[in-house]
Amino acid sequence: MQSAKSLFTISLITMLVVSCSTVQVTEESVKESSIATVEVSSSDTYETKTTAVSTSATVYFDFDKYNLSSRSIQTLRGVISSMKDNPSLTLVLEGHADERGTREYNLALGQRRAESVADYLETRGIDRSRLLIKSYGEESPAVSASNERAWARNRRVEIK
Amino acid sequence: MKFLKYFLIIPLFLNAELVIEITKGSDNPYRIALIPFKGESISAKQANEIVKNDLIRSGEFYIFDEKSLIAYPTNEDDINYSDWRLINADYLLLTTVVESNSGIEAKYEIFDVRKKSKIRSSKVYGVTNNIRQLSHYVSDGIYEAITGIQGVASTKILYVSQSNDFDTPYKLYVADADGANEQLLVTSPEPIISPAWSPDSKKVAYVSFETGIANVYIQDISSGERQSIIKKRCLTCISNEQISSPSWSPNGKYLSLTLYQDGNAEIYIYDIKKRNLTRLTNHYSIDTESKWSPDGRKLMFTSGRSGSPQLYELDLRKLNKKPKRLTFEGNYNAKGSYLPGGEGIVFVHRSSDKFQIAIKYFEDNFVIPLTEAKMDESPSVSPNGNVIIYAINEQNNDILAGVTLSGAKFRLPSAKGQVREPAWSGYLK
Repeated sequence: MQSAKSLFTISLITMLVVSCSTVQVTEESVKESSIATVEVSSSDTYETKTTAVSTSATVYFDFDKYNLSSRSIQTLRGVISSMKDNPSLTLVLEGHADERGTREYNLALGQRRAESVADYLETRGIDRSRLLIKSYGEESPAVSASNERAWARNRRVEIK
Repeated sequence: MKFLKYFLIIPLFLNAELVIEITKGSDNPYRIALIPFKGESISAKQANEIVKNDLIRSGEFYIFDEKSLIAYPTNEDDINYSDWRLINADYLLLTTVVESNSGIEAKYEIFDVRKKSKIRSSKVYGVTNNIRQLSHYVSDGIYEAITGIQGVASTKILYVSQSNDFDTPYKLYVADADGANEQLLVTSPEPIISPAWSPDSKKVAYVSFETGIANVYIQDISSGERQSIIKKRCLTCISNEQISSPSWSPNGKYLSLTLYQDGNAEIYIYDIKKRNLTRLTNHYSIDTESKWSPDGRKLMFTSGRSGSPQLYELDLRKLNKKPKRLTFEGNYNAKGSYLPGGEGIVFVHRSSDKFQIAIKYFEDNFVIPLTEAKMDESPSVSPNGNVIIYAINEQNNDILAGVTLSGAKFRLPSAKGQVREPAWSGYLK
């Protein structure tokens, strides 16, 4: 998991600072320290298992918004019926944002979008414990381009 | 120590991942005649280039082209001040690099052309192959002698890169402030965002998605030892709670964080030693991107409570008070940082369809845009407050760029992959 590699960076010791009249005279030197590299491997600890029964859908949002459109609600009806038909089915609600704006705000926005979907499913009788809510913010775009069409595709909640 | 030597030599012969390009000098610079480092050695040539670039990038200096130098004095007695007045030089620099078996030594002397006198005489010692860092210390000495402000050439930056590397596309790097000498801190198959330095620059905190959910990790730079902050969403829940946006308190004891309990982003303070959390905000809208004021008394954050993202400030001594709104201009002001003197803030500002880096001084009532690209983000302020490094998107490529308060501009394009999320260290001296 972790491999420590000794490297050289420099820190400084000021050895001597002497003022003689108006000329500032200094001497300084450098010494060693180290840097370690951490290699992270993916741990899928929180991924829900894939069962024989599954459902997937995507709902879309306006810029800086997390309310559901009537079209999104149509999409969610299908999700609700398959969850009711299969009581053991659990779902991941993964919120996303487009690339505009700041990354942390977009992470929060993606989370709010996923929560909006969860809230709606809950009002339709789905137990929240069957839902795993998470956000990737702008870090995992569906379409990697910088135009209105790509942005609209990226402001989404993936249900899977 | 063969292993150690291998890594010492690498930075000299491999091209650095980031290559600095200075795109605009400052508007009213000190004019410097930098007499090239004496000697034909590679070290002298390197030192010359590094110091020259450091000084230009600082935004405070104009460096005469070598060809336009009217003389090449080798010592104080050789200097004819009136000659240098003629070409309007403010300062003259004499520099030398001496290599020996025991190491390397840079000597520099600074002369005030108007006062016709020497103002500084300095030596920097280092081990052989450390010419780069040695040169940065020379630059900082020159910067300080002339401007009276501590230089930042010897400080570091953190940044995240994303490459086509199949197994571990995401990497967290530390590099010199000019982008050279990059060293790998973390490699990961999942995104990394929001790197932040501890005030002593010995640790970093960042957000990693490695478990499938955003979480904050604290990592010791020299040992690689890591600590994650884990909070269960609920007793029966399958996942931990998402945590993000770390910012270190100036005394190094706390991190401010964003937690998503109850499904909404709220600001908390985490006591690193006691490992406990205190909630600071409670509002149904998004609260995130917290940042400590330099005196540790206030916390700035982005909130959607007015209907669009705006910056607010909490007085940590009066927590029952309503947060104070700091920005009113336009419908998007986010990810703020304080200037090190506390006299203003730097943030991402949306102006029509552009996201720019902007500054606002507390005594003024207006926003000053510092950049003009379309999607600028993640501003980070140098410890002396004179330079801002940020991320831009250029033809679908994320690269780093910088702007100084004196008007100079530079870019740090990457040879491979996307580079983003820069964070400037404190002083390392």
